[in-house]
Amino acid sequence: MTVGRGEGVGGAPTGRLTPGPACRVDFSRPLAFRFLGRPMTGFAGDTVASALYANGVRIFGRSLKYHRPRGLYSLDGESSNALMEIDGVPNECAETTALRVGMSIRAQNVRGDPRTDRFAFLDAFDRLMPAGFYYRLFHRPYRLWPLFQKGLRRMAGTGVLDPVARPGPDVRAERYLNADVAVVGGGQAGMAAALAAAESGLRVCLFERRGWLGGHLAWRVREYEGEPQYERAEGLARRLSAGETAAPATHPAPAMHPARATHPAPAIVKVFTNSPVTGVWGENLVTGFTVGGEGDPFRECHLECRAKAVVVAAGCMERPLVFNHNDRPGVMQAGTAWRLARTYGVKPGNAVVFSVADDLSLEAAVDLADLGVPVQAVADAREAGHQDPALGAALEERGIPFLPGWAASRALGRKRVTGCELRTLRGAGSRRLRCDLLVANAGWQPGIGALATAGARLAYCTHTHTFQPVQLPRGVFAAGSLTGLRDPRSIEASGRLAGCRAAEWCLGEAARGGRWNRGGAESRGAATVAARATEAAERNAESLPGPEPGCDILHGPGIRRGAKAFVDLDEDGTWKNVVESAAQGFDVPELAKRFGGFGLGPGQYRVTGQNLAMIMADLRGDPLENASPTTVRPPLVAPSLATLAGPGHDVHKRTPLHGELASRGAVFRRAGPWLRARHFGGDPRHGASEATAHRLREEILNVRRNVGLLDSSPLGKFRIFGPDALNALQRVYISDISRARPGRCLYSALCNDMAHVLDDGAIVMDNGREYYFTTSSARAGSTMEWFRYHTRHDGWDFHLVNVTDVFGSINLAGPNARRVLERVTDDDISNEAFPYMGCRWITVGDVEVRCLRLGFVGELSYELHVPSSYCQFVWDLLVAAGADFGIQPFGLEAQYCLRAEKGHIIVGAESEARVTLTDIGMGWLWDREDTVSKKVGAPALRACEGQPGRLKLVGLRVRQGAGSSRAEPGASGAGPGSPRDGALVLDRGEIVGHVCTTRYSDTLGWQYGMALVREEVAVKGGRVVLQEEDAPGTKVICMATIVSPPFYDPGGERLRA
Amino acid sequence: MTFRLTCPVCGKRDICEFTFGGQERGPRPEQEGLSAEEHFRWVQFRMIPGGAEPAQGAGQRGWRQAALQQEWWYHGQGCGVWFRTTRDPATNREVEGDGGEG
Ligand SMILES: [Zn+2]
Repeated sequence: MTVGRGEGVGGAPTGRLTPGPACRVDFSRPLAFRFLGRPMTGFAGDTVASALYANGVRIFGRSLKYHRPRGLYSLDGESSNALMEIDGVPNECAETTALRVGMSIRAQNVRGDPRTDRFAFLDAFDRLMPAGFYYRLFHRPYRLWPLFQKGLRRMAGTGVLDPVARPGPDVRAERYLNADVAVVGGGQAGMAAALAAAESGLRVCLFERRGWLGGHLAWRVREYEGEPQYERAEGLARRLSAGETAAPATHPAPAMHPARATHPAPAIVKVFTNSPVTGVWGENLVTGFTVGGEGDPFRECHLECRAKAVVVAAGCMERPLVFNHNDRPGVMQAGTAWRLARTYGVKPGNAVVFSVADDLSLEAAVDLADLGVPVQAVADAREAGHQDPALGAALEERGIPFLPGWAASRALGRKRVTGCELRTLRGAGSRRLRCDLLVANAGWQPGIGALATAGARLAYCTHTHTFQPVQLPRGVFAAGSLTGLRDPRSIEASGRLAGCRAAEWCLGEAARGGRWNRGGAESRGAATVAARATEAAERNAESLPGPEPGCDILHGPGIRRGAKAFVDLDEDGTWKNVVESAAQGFDVPELAKRFGGFGLGPGQYRVTGQNLAMIMADLRGDPLENASPTTVRPPLVAPSLATLAGPGHDVHKRTPLHGELASRGAVFRRAGPWLRARHFGGDPRHGASEATAHRLREEILNVRRNVGLLDSSPLGKFRIFGPDALNALQRVYISDISRARPGRCLYSALCNDMAHVLDDGAIVMDNGREYYFTTSSARAGSTMEWFRYHTRHDGWDFHLVNVTDVFGSINLAGPNARRVLERVTDDDISNEAFPYMGCRWITVGDVEVRCLRLGFVGELSYELHVPSSYCQFVWDLLVAAGADFGIQPFGLEAQYCLRAEKGHIIVGAESEARVTLTDIGMGWLWDREDTVSKKVGAPALRACEGQPGRLKLVGLRVRQGAGSSRAEPGASGAGPGSPRDGALVLDRGEIVGHVCTTRYSDTLGWQYGMALVREEVAVKGGRVVLQEEDAPGTKVICMATIVSPPFYDPGGERLRA
Repeated sequence: MTFRLTCPVCGKRDICEFTFGGQERGPRPEQEGLSAEEHFRWVQFRMIPGGAEPAQGAGQRGWRQAALQQEWWYHGQGCGVWFRTTRDPATNREVEGDGGEG
């Protein structure tokens, strides 16, 4: 989003300055909004914070612990002072959120108006709240903690989430980028780096958190090589967007961009503004997010950029000055006051005092005075002679008292600044001044976040008095003011140098060749050119001023032990708390951080990090070079949780018969990657309603008494062929697969190395070198991986093809199944020609169909594997042929009940990680003679045989079963007053197992169940107690007898009929 | 945590495309005469990268130096090949030039 400049708009509205050339607010476009219900007006280009400030709002919220009034301190979200509730969404950062028309804004952590907060009295009780007081004070007696916690939560904490509120259309998006060079920060150095890298023909992505490029230059009017600095920034930005490079490429692009190889390389820089970086990760993955503006199709967009090299040019921020009442509304950063005036055209104050420690802040004082903001005095914590003499002269010219060697010792005023006390750092000089704005800092601290998350080693530098990278990860380069440079020429040169080094790194990787870096001579040529560019950039950078000395002031003069001088604004961490923490032995920043909460708030290390490290070193009596920074945690800037959660696309697969099932009233559920029909008809909103239960009973009985159709297409289907196909099958299946014969289905199971059952299915031999097998739908996705993993050392020659989606599958089941099938095929499917467990190719209406006669549901049934595109056709034929029998489709729930009546297991329900194939009664599948194939699971099966204390799968006949089958397996079980899936099994008051599945069966007329119980209890005819307790007082208890499954048709006559 | 691996078929890809298959611990042992102890040792036991006896090592830094391990990865979101590669689990970096064997 670009905002028109204010130039040409005559005059300024109330509370605003005449727009200067660097102003980004368009006074011709007013935007109405509300703060605490009061109507206010801002302008296009305003942030919420700048608009509130322009409307006279000075108290933005209340602090976490003491409920002290807090005002606008920073403009880049460095503290939690300006976290607000915007349009019902809590914890939005007013400093970085663009103002939109109609916004409704509320302060947080207050009762009512932040000017008159009900909990403000807490400030007077601060001595009762020492560092770590939550942990120490409210810990005992422990049973009272919930009570304390509730009270504390109400008084402390920031935003409140309304679980019902759903603010507007809120689209989240994500982008995955690939770049050669990623640049973090779009200031002068970042832009120079991007341009330099792009000159080598590389693809560059640049991420800038603000809505525009330029960093510090963007609002500065001081001359830089003959032009105002903001124009220099604009010039660089134009070159980035125009694809124009400083020096036109003198060499062909590297071979990795063949399309561009014959043309001169234009700069390929993709610029992302409004895009904070959240972290830099292993192998140079840069993550961040873009905040959408007007015209963007998303509100926030997650970004992930995999780069070969990263240039971090994140710039600096101000180190807060720790002095008494330094949190009063009216105390702010120099950059905040300056940008309010220059960027937003807001007059920051009517009487301003500066207490700063660097030249840029002195420039701010001069510039504000030139804009007509009355500057009363400028204190500089550096002694005289350490400043740029031109700036001292400029202050003198404007009649502003300049006080080197002085600093603020105290802010005066109760709810906002009304004056301040300045003192000399050495000696006893003291002055009181009236002011409504106190600009304070202790100099600069670098934005080390991106470097720290990348894994750079940082150390305290006693020249710049900042943490500086002393060791960078591979392919990561640092540039710009964060390396301690202050001269704009040096900053730009360092950016260019980092860009050249990054390019050289990328091209070097390409030139090293290797199978995956299509390099060769051209890349080597480009790398040589890049190396020469790096040398030139190095020489240039060396000729310019290096890092400038910084200021090591720890706190304002005359700090008192009991005073409220804040080290951490977010967590209300004071100087006093830091001293207490050190006195109790928590005297390194990492410990103090946990104990006193310093730097744990939304601002993280930004306000607190460097001060805490320096103060702690001082309190320990260590020299400053021993100061250690605390670990910087991502995200460096917080995206909303909704952005991290992503757009939430429901990506699923539909079977070839999905439309058909839907038209028959199917209620679908997600099963693995598939949408599957649970049941037909009934009320989809109430899974366990009476209507649904009735439909389910009809579906079950129609299969048992007549004939039903099931869409079982998600069933895993595989072809395996080649000379070693049988070896592979023998390895992973527990049975002897060499017994497979054409025309016969072989049933087997698949175990892991601990002999737990993972899957079962049918294997069909097509010829000696080719087999066809099925897996459960849940297992289809990992079958390929499993087969290849367990044969990875063998070098076998076989091919495995997943044909799950190539063939749909239709189960025709019920006593009338053959009579239906006979009507649609001319092939002989009589019981003699096509017996149980047979497999035939039959022709159904000209379609060649593989037909397996299996019995999962316990009736005569045919599983037709039909090419996907013919599924609907075959289905229609079957439906027409079965019409006079009353053929009906049935769903997953009916199938679940039907198979359970037969005692057929489902992996995950009747088998789990504690039981083996033998434990669930399927040991007969194991080919125990075979030691040659090295079957997966066979040694564990042998080891577990005869082991005492194992769980065994048993059948149950539940005594008090009455009512109906419920729709949802697992969620509900049988009739009212009956135990459900998961109920405990007790024997003489002792827990001996649990119920896997239990249902009331209309077919049987009683409630059956399957349970895993301890071996000694698994005795046929034994009595156990089933117990279930959903909530206190809802205990269900009933008796059950142990029986052996199957419950239905134990002899299997119906399957073979 | 994020890094990349070199699939012998597809080249350098993001780690999220791969499934870890554990350390290389040699082929499946012969089952004839295999004791339960031997079997479970093969299934469950892993070498600590850089040395079998960490207690006698030179502390964490000591075996961090040589912490290379051969391991198996499956390119499930890609070509579906199982491959062996050598990697330093302390830095997550793949050893240059490896990742070519299937
Ligand atoms: Zn691959």
